Amino acid sequence: MELPSLSAIGAQAVSGLTTAMLLFLVASGLSLIFGVLRLLNFAHGSFYMLGAYFAWQFNTWLQGSFWLSVLFAAIATGVLGALLERVLFRKFYDRPELMQLLFTYSIVLIVSDVVKYIWGTQQLGIRRPEMLSHSFKFGEIVLPSYNLVIIVISLAIAVGIWLLLQGTRLGKMVRAAAFDREMLSMLGVDVRMLYLLVFSAGCFLAGLAGALVAPMSAVVPGMDADIIISLFIIVVIGGLGSFWGTFLGSIIYGMVFSFGILFIPQFSLFAVALIMVVILIVKPEGLLGRENTR
Amino acid sequence: MAVKTLDNKRNRLLMATALFLGLGAVPFFAPPFYVVFLNDALIIACLSMSLNLLVGYTGLISFGHAAYFGLGAYACGLLLKSAGLPFGVSLVAAGAFGGLGAAVAGFFCVRLNRVYFSMLTLAFSLIFWAICFRWNDLTGGDQGLSGIPYPNLTWISQMIGRPDFSSAQSYYLVSLVVVAICIAAMWIIVSSPVGLMLRTIRENEQRSTFIGVETRRVKLAIFIVAGTIAGLAGGLFAVFNRGVYPDFMYWTKSAEILIMALFGGIGSFWGPAIGSLTLLLLHQETVALTEYWSFALGVILLVLTLRFPSGLWGLFERFTNTRRSK
Amino acid sequence: MDTTFMQLKRVQLLLGLLGTLAASIASAQEPIRVGFPMILSGAGGQFGAPILKGAQMYVDEINATGGVLGRKIELVPRDTKSRPDEAVRVARELVLRENVDFLVGTFTSGEGPAVSGIAKEAKKVFIAVAPKTDRLTAPDAIHPYVFRAAANTTTEGRAAATIVAKWNIKRLATIAPDFAYGRDATASFVAHIKKLRPDIEIVDQQWPKLNESDYTPFITAQLGKKPEAVFSVICCGNFDSFARQAGAQGYFKSIGNNFIGLGEAGSIEALRALGGEYPIGVYGNTYDAFYWKPKDSEVARLHAAFTKRLSTALKDDTPPSWAVQGYISMQFLVEGIKKANSIDSDKVSTALKGLEIVSPQGKITMRAKDQQATRGMLWGKATKRDGYAFPILDGVELIDPTGFMD
Repeated sequence: MELPSLSAIGAQAVSGLTTAMLLFLVASGLSLIFGVLRLLNFAHGSFYMLGAYFAWQFNTWLQGSFWLSVLFAAIATGVLGALLERVLFRKFYDRPELMQLLFTYSIVLIVSDVVKYIWGTQQLGIRRPEMLSHSFKFGEIVLPSYNLVIIVISLAIAVGIWLLLQGTRLGKMVRAAAFDREMLSMLGVDVRMLYLLVFSAGCFLAGLAGALVAPMSAVVPGMDADIIISLFIIVVIGGLGSFWGTFLGSIIYGMVFSFGILFIPQFSLFAVALIMVVILIVKPEGLLGRENTR
Repeated sequence: MAVKTLDNKRNRLLMATALFLGLGAVPFFAPPFYVVFLNDALIIACLSMSLNLLVGYTGLISFGHAAYFGLGAYACGLLLKSAGLPFGVSLVAAGAFGGLGAAVAGFFCVRLNRVYFSMLTLAFSLIFWAICFRWNDLTGGDQGLSGIPYPNLTWISQMIGRPDFSSAQSYYLVSLVVVAICIAAMWIIVSSPVGLMLRTIRENEQRSTFIGVETRRVKLAIFIVAGTIAGLAGGLFAVFNRGVYPDFMYWTKSAEILIMALFGGIGSFWGPAIGSLTLLLLHQETVALTEYWSFALGVILLVLTLRFPSGLWGLFERFTNTRRSK
Repeated sequence: MDTTFMQLKRVQLLLGLLGTLAASIASAQEPIRVGFPMILSGAGGQFGAPILKGAQMYVDEINATGGVLGRKIELVPRDTKSRPDEAVRVARELVLRENVDFLVGTFTSGEGPAVSGIAKEAKKVFIAVAPKTDRLTAPDAIHPYVFRAAANTTTEGRAAATIVAKWNIKRLATIAPDFAYGRDATASFVAHIKKLRPDIEIVDQQWPKLNESDYTPFITAQLGKKPEAVFSVICCGNFDSFARQAGAQGYFKSIGNNFIGLGEAGSIEALRALGGEYPIGVYGNTYDAFYWKPKDSEVARLHAAFTKRLSTALKDDTPPSWAVQGYISMQFLVEGIKKANSIDSDKVSTALKGLEIVSPQGKITMRAKDQQATRGMLWGKATKRDGYAFPILDGVELIDPTGFMD
């Protein structure tokens, strides 16, 4: 086999990083919700899809004011998440996992048809903003500026969340909630409000990712189902509920996917699933997870 | 007390026999469409009942049960179509493949608890799916295997004195017998001491270890049994559907079976069967009326999880109990 | 007593006569039912919906002229959810419960052969609208009731090869979704281009999965092999994502726009969805294009009239390309019924073999030997043109596959 050149490897690494960072944005919300609320949210992909559709809608209304559309779409998704949390999701925090899975799956089914009803089945697209349509070239490695922006936004959000979790009172409450909820409510923290906030933030992140991906790929029905399995693989690899674990999981996923194409094209599909199996067998709590699983 | 349970047992046996005979009579008078529909429902009911051995009886939420259904379907389809083996042999192989796949996956899965168990079953089903999806030369890849022949069933139509029976009608009878055997086997398992062990594991796994139950071995055993029955159902379905496709193994199919089981009620033996029948019927009727079938199913599920977590069977029991107490 | 008996008998006779008359009128008015299993949901719905509309438009037109054999046609659509097992389920329901007389439909290469099996079992004529897989009508799968109005992978791949053969390039790469249609079309293309241009070398082949949303790693991997031209089968609504990501990577520029996209990459749907981001200068194909100006004046007249009717029926000035497939498929069926003068599937099957229709795109024949229509596709080079909100295919022409079908 002819070995790929160094620059080809560099190019693959850069594409893998874009994939990873975009997935991290969505997966971080899923992981946050699981970590704090103990809710395995199958509907997370639906919020991602809604973010993309919202972005398209705002972009149409605002006649191409792209960044504003992205922001509004993410906020709209977060608000919708908050509403649904109050009406429905909160009823399931203490229910058995089976009921959670079933309930969130019902949301997947409902949202997919609502989207189809509102926006139809044809694919929609958003134009990349003009100022981001050029690319940077490092020798043979091409990095479209839009991809660079996505990488930067994701990294900024990763650091931002981390600082929020470490440095603020709110962050401490969130971490405490993940650890022991009863304790927290005994300390007089408004747990219900905290949950609402966390859930809404998770949806905001999913919506943001959906809106950001819209100029890169078509906005179509089925986006939700396509991404959810990747998300599950990522959070399982990294460790359910672990923030940096999710980050690591995203990087691994992105790189395996990207280099799989270069080295083992027939098995890249298989490779990610295999990693998930191996991790679950060897270290079920995930690479950076800490939990009793046996 | 003992007399009463004995009575109960005899009643149940009588009822099951009546059900079997009643279903067996269907092709003799019902239009072919209903025979085909019931055939579909019988196989899927058997599949969701096998899942219930795990979910309902043992508390193991498998999220990849469709994998074993698919393995059985591929085994049966390939042996029938490509190797030209007789149907009986292919069907047994379907069960064996389902069981074998479940043994491999189960060996690892039963070591994990709760959501991690679910995730690992899901991961294994993705691997089995990816193999079947990729192995074009053998499985036909995404296009699947179509044109699986009906076995020659003239001996059945001869035997029952209805030479005018079509293959579809005779095949219904074959499915019915196989499904009945599977259900009987499941019934024997859950009403034996093993069944009690399963329930103890569900209620409190730690305690069952204390009282000397080797939980892992029991869990693995039931995982294999469920996989074998799913494989048999897959084999039956491959011929019934005249084709096998990778969708049979995908996670959405696993979710579908789980929903059927829960809809009927996982707290009972027959619940999942009722759930499958009802949902297939609902599906059949709504698809003809509206393209928004998944919205309808979503709303049904939502109401179910909010109001009736014990499913249709639970509803039915609550109804009969209140009547009795009056 | 006797008279009363006679009277009674007469009344009975009269009633009986009336009954038969009523029945015969009813059967004369009872429509011919055509089951239409088609993708109507999920990502595939964007193709299935216009196909159904095109079929319905033909049905409305034929019904307005009194139908066929004095009977109206009625479509009974069902959603296959792009799942072959679901297609089998609805096809059976259509045949056994809805008592449809024929089946027309299916989209994917999984659904087509699956429904073909049911048609064989039920002995009902089935016309496949869109599946291109060669397996549908392969010698071991063909039976008297299956017909295809779509192009197939052999003809599509070979048509592409005749275009690429004219290009001044040596290093060629391919990219296609890893599913039957993508693989078959690529294989047929590669075999044909090697025959036409033995000097061309295939330097890279990428196989992303169908409905992949992230093409960037495939694109960078392919560019690493430095191809001078690319043959693509990125289809089924995936071309949009692919083109956006490839464009951002400078993919089309680095191969000098020597790119040919199969799988309807040149359809109005794809052109419209990508708008200003559609790669200008690449070749694409499509089943139909409202702006197509056929050279033959008779075909030009037919096509213009069809486009006008379609625009009105769909209330769309730039009507979708897929509608014509539904239209032509129904046209084959109805003209087959006319020729057979019966709705008996055996007779219609015989009539369909070798049947030539005058479609909105000119004459098409349902070949007797493989029950495959001589369906060509439109090919052209994407260009910006004044008066259109999105690029169109320049110099678009129908490549007749008759010469290279076998």
